[in-house]
Amino acid sequence: MKARRPLMFLALAGTAALGVTAATALGAGHAQKAGTPKRGGSITIARIEDSQSFDKTNVFQNESIWLTEQINETLYTAGKDGKTLIPWLATSYTRSKDGKTYTFKLRKGVKFSNGRPMTSADVKFSIDDARAQSKGWGYLDAAIKNITTPDPDTVVFHLKRQWAPFLADIGLFANGIIPNHFAGQTRTQFYKHPIGTGPFMWDKRVIGQSVTFKRNPFYWQKGKPYLDSVTWTFVTDENTRELQLRGGQIQIDEFPPFNSISKLQHTSGVTMSLFPSTRTDYLDINESYAPLADVHVRRAISLAIDRNAIIKSVLFGHGTPANSFLPPQVPFYDAQSPGLQYNIAQAKAEMAKSKYPKGFKVTLLVGAGAQVESAMGQILQQSLKQIGIDVTFHQEDTSTEFNDIGKRKYQLGFSYWTMDIADPDELVTFAIDPAGGAGSFYTGYDNPAVVKLSHEAQVQPDPAVRAKLYAQLQVKAANDAFLGFLYYSPYRWAYSSKVHGFFVEPLGNYHLENVWLG
Amino acid sequence: MSLGGYVVRRLLQLVPIALGVTILVFFLIHLVPGDPARTILGNQATTVRVKLLRHAWGLDRPLPVQYLKFMGRLLHGDLGTSLFYSVGAGRLVLQRLPVTLWLIGFGAVLAVAIAVPLSAFAATHRDRLPDHIVRAVPLVGLGFPPFWLGIVLLLTFGLNLGRLFPVGGYGSGFTGHLHSMFLPALTVALGIAPILIRSLRAGLLEVFEAEYITTARSKGLPERRVLIRHALRNAIVSTVSVLGVNIGYLVGGTLVIEQVYAIPGIGQLMINSIFERDFPVVQAVTLVFSVMVVLVYLATDVAHALLDPRVRFD
Amino acid sequence: MAAAATADALGEAIPVGQRRGFRGRWYRTPSFVAGVSILGTIVLLAVLAPLVTGFDPTYQDLNHTLQGPSWHHLLGTDDLGRDTWTRLVYGARTDLRVAFLAVLFPFTIGTVLGLFSGYYGGWVDSITSWFVNVVVAFPFYVLIIALVFALGSGTRNIYIAITLVGWVSYTRIIRGEVLVAKRRDYVLAARAGGLSDFRILFRHLLPNVITQAIVFAMSDIVLDILAIVTLGYLGLGVQPPTPDWGTMIAEGQTFLTTHWELSTIPGIAVVVTALGLSLLADGLADLLRPE
Repeated sequence: MKARRPLMFLALAGTAALGVTAATALGAGHAQKAGTPKRGGSITIARIEDSQSFDKTNVFQNESIWLTEQINETLYTAGKDGKTLIPWLATSYTRSKDGKTYTFKLRKGVKFSNGRPMTSADVKFSIDDARAQSKGWGYLDAAIKNITTPDPDTVVFHLKRQWAPFLADIGLFANGIIPNHFAGQTRTQFYKHPIGTGPFMWDKRVIGQSVTFKRNPFYWQKGKPYLDSVTWTFVTDENTRELQLRGGQIQIDEFPPFNSISKLQHTSGVTMSLFPSTRTDYLDINESYAPLADVHVRRAISLAIDRNAIIKSVLFGHGTPANSFLPPQVPFYDAQSPGLQYNIAQAKAEMAKSKYPKGFKVTLLVGAGAQVESAMGQILQQSLKQIGIDVTFHQEDTSTEFNDIGKRKYQLGFSYWTMDIADPDELVTFAIDPAGGAGSFYTGYDNPAVVKLSHEAQVQPDPAVRAKLYAQLQVKAANDAFLGFLYYSPYRWAYSSKVHGFFVEPLGNYHLENVWLG
Repeated sequence: MSLGGYVVRRLLQLVPIALGVTILVFFLIHLVPGDPARTILGNQATTVRVKLLRHAWGLDRPLPVQYLKFMGRLLHGDLGTSLFYSVGAGRLVLQRLPVTLWLIGFGAVLAVAIAVPLSAFAATHRDRLPDHIVRAVPLVGLGFPPFWLGIVLLLTFGLNLGRLFPVGGYGSGFTGHLHSMFLPALTVALGIAPILIRSLRAGLLEVFEAEYITTARSKGLPERRVLIRHALRNAIVSTVSVLGVNIGYLVGGTLVIEQVYAIPGIGQLMINSIFERDFPVVQAVTLVFSVMVVLVYLATDVAHALLDPRVRFD
Repeated sequence: MAAAATADALGEAIPVGQRRGFRGRWYRTPSFVAGVSILGTIVLLAVLAPLVTGFDPTYQDLNHTLQGPSWHHLLGTDDLGRDTWTRLVYGARTDLRVAFLAVLFPFTIGTVLGLFSGYYGGWVDSITSWFVNVVVAFPFYVLIIALVFALGSGTRNIYIAITLVGWVSYTRIIRGEVLVAKRRDYVLAARAGGLSDFRILFRHLLPNVITQAIVFAMSDIVLDILAIVTLGYLGLGVQPPTPDWGTMIAEGQTFLTTHWELSTIPGIAVVVTALGLSLLADGLADLLRPE
């Protein structure tokens, strides 16, 4: 804009400056003032790990998943509440009466970043490729028998059986749409720098340092994305990330430590946001260790955990006690189920009813360098001492810790979960089904009644009935205390107040097409 | 024996050492518990999937077989492929090597710049207050771990006293590097300065005692000049020696410093690879590190010999 | 003449002048005195820990976390409400003990290996030197980290890891000294006199070559404390809730920008201990230097 009338310009600038200063002073810690999105600019996001791979069908790491989602989009996607599924690359779908056929109408005018329009052939190719990955996410698409494409705008999925979580599964990032035949490249070549319909496209990568995406000029949402490019760097040390944010070197800081939240909320120029999440933290209880196979012992342990104390001292108040192994942001979460909350008298009573009334020794596996786990563990040590359980720490580096939990070589340990789809099925199967791939969240828990409820809910098309089934399931699981449900905590993101429109969904991902710099 | 012959002989000795290093690192890292396949698969790791991945990587063969394959590839210049990134391990290492070399080099220069004047000052005021202060204060670098020093330096000079230095990172261009790497190099220097100061000071004192006696008996030459010339030469020889001997420690110390300052060097690569059990990368980095260390020892000995005519090559 | 020299050699191996010098001089060497005082104070506090502190080092007071210094808590409390001063003093116990033991094993093993390797030469020396060169070529921390990973965390494995890596320096020092010393008169005389190798090595050579190693050991303790602190930063050190300076520094790391004292106070403890040990090392070096 050319300043043809200098005085007027100066006056405007002055007012604007005053306005900005006032807004910044008031704005730190408050929600973004809704302004008009401005086009242009680049942001840098510093995160805790580097991305491993951009093959969305075979990667399990969040730091890779959240990036591929900027490039590859799905037919339906989870909405901002994490529960409802909204049309995205498809505009509508119909389901046959027997629930085994789903017909999707594709959105018109969607193009890949190479300019080619998206058709049903691309969709069929993408999902066939995804479900063929036996080492990867293929298992989630196991209910699909085959896919047909009657015309370029229609895709039909034929299922092997009724499958209630189907729409949510279609929304899984692994089912993102890629060009037919990998746009002429080999599969390996393609996934080194994938092409998609998303708001951003591949720009460049320096391994171990940064990944940069730039605007997709063919993006189907007109006017978006606002940003020219986004760069993700990788800074392990949380203090360094914070200092980089305060120094203006980065615009978004992933996961500042809990104890910094309060300070960052009062730092001018910085917005500290706590987004509702699907993250749940658990105490893993391995039933291979005899005392832990006793349901009264497990109930005693759950009753002896002082969740509020943990939340206060370790999370600095930023969390809520968990009452179920499902988090509140997941469909069919049962808020009524009380779970087993802190009650030492009841805990002692349960121990008395168990086969180990005098208590026993147990080891707690803790990740090395994980301050939160270590602090939690030490608080737990003191709590369990009150009911006669003598806890010894066993620290291992996170890789070994992970392995040992996976191989069931532990007694007590810590785990957490964040949802990948907007349906409880994935987590329920993982958590309570001994045949669900993880041996019931690595605990060995096996209650046939609970497993039966899960199987029924999987094929139940009526949401009201499903809700009842999952409610019963959650109550039973809580009573069996197969995991210690610890707490629900929000996603913590700190970013410059110049960044607007940044929103992290309960599934953990973020839609960068809505972000603009002001 | 000539200098050239000595160098050649030492280089030949590098071979059995390098061999020993490859054996040690190979078996050590493979004996460390933890499975990269499981780590990469995360919560989705089932026994079947883990087995498939391990097979794809050749990790299910017996160790000696894997070692032979590793050596075979090594002789063709192939350092293996990163399990985490699926790119050549050698390429990863070469990409990051200059960054770490910058850090070590700059750190060594700063260390010398700090140590030489301080130890001269201490030696000339032996056992008086300045001496005690000089010997005590640098211990801050030794006692405080790098992550503490790093954050304090960043807070002070990167933020609080005005944004004098960028917070972490490598920067671009020569001046950019100088700017970004100053604080990390300073952290490295503070870590090694106490050792340098102690040995320099001792060396200088020895020189002073000897020279004092000799010059007291000689006439004509100003005592000061002789003192300084001999002392300086001794100082350089000592510094080179001590730096060289401690290079292994110096190189290792950069591991944590790179983490704190988010510097994309091989130290950071090493730490992350160990945590992720990315065997090929750990092997590649260790090999490169070791060769570097041995070459530095060689260079130190050669420099030592050139500077100090009393040393013989045997 | 020859008989007299042999008799001399067979007798006291340590030059008499040196021994008398130590006894007469130690209290006049300021660095030695300072070092002993500082270290002595720390050791004393550690030994008398229950008497000089008022709390149990693992007692958590979750309602009074992250407090500043007060009458009740001299140095404040940490993130779990534990008294910092108490943990500092008990931490001294842990760290001094661990560091001392962690030096003792490499010292012993390294010295013995250095003695044999320097004295016998030949293939014993070649093999030992090869091992030494391989270990030395490794970046110290890489080896330690890998070993602790392989063995698991905890103090026993820290000893093992540091021993496996640390013996090298002692072997080199002792070997170097032995190479020089074995050409000295008293050794040649002893061999001529038909004394067993074993006797020569341990009764005659050892006392003469060990002084350098002792001096090095003092600074090695500092390096070991640092290694334990670094392992603590990486979460592989002493197991909680046992107080130890390394873990305290590591646990305080998250709070560096909000409560920097949590890491700084144990850091100061490490610096002061390092100072004491350094002064002691300097003092010993001064005293044990032959006049």
